[in-house]
Amino acid sequence: MPDLFFLPVAPLPPNQIIWFGVLLLAGVIGGEVARRVLFLPRITGYAVAGLALGPEGFALIDKTLLHELRAFADISIGIILFELGHRIDLRWLKRSPRLVLTSLAECALGAGLVYFTLRHFFALDILHASAAAAIAVATSPAVVMRITADLGAEGQVTERALLLTALNCSIAVLALTALIPWLHLEYRGGWQTILLHPMYLLAGSFALGLAASAATLALLRWLGKREEMQVALLIALILATIGAAIALKLSVLLALLAYGALIRNLDRHYRLAAPDFGLTGQIFFLILFVLAGASLDLHAAWTGIVIGASLAAVRFAGKAVGILAFVPGDGMRMRQGLLLALALTPMSGLAVIMLQDTQSMFPEFGRTLASVVLPAVVLLEIAGPVLTQFALKFAGEVRPEPAAKD
Amino acid sequence: MGELPFKLSRPLTLGIELELQIVNTRDYNLTRGASDLLGALAKSGNPGDIKPEITESMIEMSSSVHTGHATLLAELRAMRAAIASAARKLNVGIAGGGAHPFQKWNDRRIYDTGRFRHLARLYGYLAKQFTVFGQHIHVGCADGDEAVYLTHMFSRYVPHFIALSASSPFHQGEDTSFDSSRLSAVNAFPLSGTMPLARSWREFESYFSKMRGFGIVQSMKDFYWDIRPKPEYGTIEIRVCDTPLSVDRAAALAAYAQSLARYLRLERPRAVCDDLYLIYNTNRFQACRYGLDADLIDPFDGSRAKLCQDLVATFPRVAAHAEDLGCRPLVQGLLMGAQGSGNDARRLRARFKETQSYADVVRWQCEQWMQPP
Repeated sequence: MPDLFFLPVAPLPPNQIIWFGVLLLAGVIGGEVARRVLFLPRITGYAVAGLALGPEGFALIDKTLLHELRAFADISIGIILFELGHRIDLRWLKRSPRLVLTSLAECALGAGLVYFTLRHFFALDILHASAAAAIAVATSPAVVMRITADLGAEGQVTERALLLTALNCSIAVLALTALIPWLHLEYRGGWQTILLHPMYLLAGSFALGLAASAATLALLRWLGKREEMQVALLIALILATIGAAIALKLSVLLALLAYGALIRNLDRHYRLAAPDFGLTGQIFFLILFVLAGASLDLHAAWTGIVIGASLAAVRFAGKAVGILAFVPGDGMRMRQGLLLALALTPMSGLAVIMLQDTQSMFPEFGRTLASVVLPAVVLLEIAGPVLTQFALKFAGEVRPEPAAKD
Repeated sequence: MGELPFKLSRPLTLGIELELQIVNTRDYNLTRGASDLLGALAKSGNPGDIKPEITESMIEMSSSVHTGHATLLAELRAMRAAIASAARKLNVGIAGGGAHPFQKWNDRRIYDTGRFRHLARLYGYLAKQFTVFGQHIHVGCADGDEAVYLTHMFSRYVPHFIALSASSPFHQGEDTSFDSSRLSAVNAFPLSGTMPLARSWREFESYFSKMRGFGIVQSMKDFYWDIRPKPEYGTIEIRVCDTPLSVDRAAALAAYAQSLARYLRLERPRAVCDDLYLIYNTNRFQACRYGLDADLIDPFDGSRAKLCQDLVATFPRVAAHAEDLGCRPLVQGLLMGAQGSGNDARRLRARFKETQSYADVVRWQCEQWMQPP
């Protein structure tokens, strides 16, 4: 054995952890540059940093590594969806049925216009247009949650943006699941597959979310109200739920949304304090946006610029009309309604995951679907956070900057 | 006509203002909701006089002028119903209580009007630390001289109002050991304290014009005294009460103030003396700190008693006046029952002991104030 065996030998062995660290570091720096120099949201900086280091940029991070890091993205989106589900306050919806109508109108009109545009101007078939419309229903939960938290936004536009996002994400995932029988029919699945697959996904994911909430409540009864313990417990149970959903081939999205919503509304004794993942939570957002940026396919976006821009535009128009129709009589001003619609523009990680899920079930269908939807996603991944930030600032709901000395 | 004309008003008429907390329904922290809430209220017709206050987490409701407790309570309940219904629509909670148990003062946002921006610039962090919630009681006076007399005489009873209304035991996430921590926030302001020992309205006017000459004040609004004459309303204004947890208790406190005012103006039991304010701050501190268990010293004869015993001793003096004003059982319950039923601070502490969570305490405060629809 040579005497200096403890020294590293060149060439250095490859080590993904270093690159993961570098990627996150670039994200942190990118986020601060975006905020301080360009007055853009931090998350736009995260995504651009990811894009710069990813396969489309300097290619420091290749596709294999991105694939290996998928687990981190899954965990991040799981935690975010849990928090989002926890935003669904059924008592509020029961008191204000108008809010339910607003949500339904916003989803239906946005999806309807997207469907119509794809069918008539881009000559897409019914199934592709329907699936794309379903995906377009969802607002990026990560973007809306991160921006509201970063800006310290509080008020009706903020609260309603978060609630409508939680609802439209749930509706989008459900709608896409409901399309599964038609896809099986198209791609010649047996009747058992056609019937049982969506039922398994829906009932199974819901049952998993229910089991997780029941377990959480039982544990909280014993643990008590100490908040730091509650956060640790929640993260542990969220990870277990994500893992179980993947192992059982259920929908991670549905299971975690159900978990968050059920625990909020089943917790009759108020055992769970409002989950505040704090600094830990921020790192998950950083991971998610950097990875999302690194996986952006700029080339596809460029070739699909027309379809992407049209999709983004009609989606906004549909959502805006849907919201404005129900603003009168809901204690809100029209201006606030318009800003609310603007705040709901972002599309990003969730759309990509829905595309990936579809692609893993129906590879060929998924690929063409991606070419239709991805350009809009790329566009709104970059523009969406800016629009949301603008809407909340213009609504006067963000935390004021520390006043300069006067 | 003097420097500061005292508006004529019917003696013993009654009005109150209540500052209320706006909280979110997720973690029950204070939230930015005043402008949204006022917008929603404006759309739902005319619920009465409801105004913004210095931060976005606060609104103030003011009653109109009443001759008795019954109509006052009815109006307060109707306004509460309107506010609670708008709040439910916006999914925010409205709560009484003199301070929010765990808000961080630096998170507060100043409501965007010229006067509030001016106060925020002038007072710096004090303006944001002043996120406390009080009840002001107005009692009508026949003239300025009577207002001066009543202002001085009420100072003897200020500890009663502090202890009976106290509802701010928690502040910035800690038990302060005080029953009313709110009044300590008022002390920091340069124009807080008590009215100077003027004996007549004319004397008071000359004091006021001196202060105006110094350029320190523009109107009576700039004095943050515990009790101040309010010449533009023709009233005296008692400002030491924490906002109680319910409008019913707020109306009961107003009824006690009215009975006391009737007793003082008709019987004139004492004359204003030079030593009136010697032990004022000690008594006031005792009431803030220990609530109903405070040790009081009578400024006129130097006798000592527990505050709750002093309440019991006071009732016979005001009973006949309360009777004439139609609120005797109410005042009797308030004064004689204080020891047994306790004040809101005691109830809040019990709630915290049971739940170990300030968020749960605030949720309970909202339930107390808003009442089921």
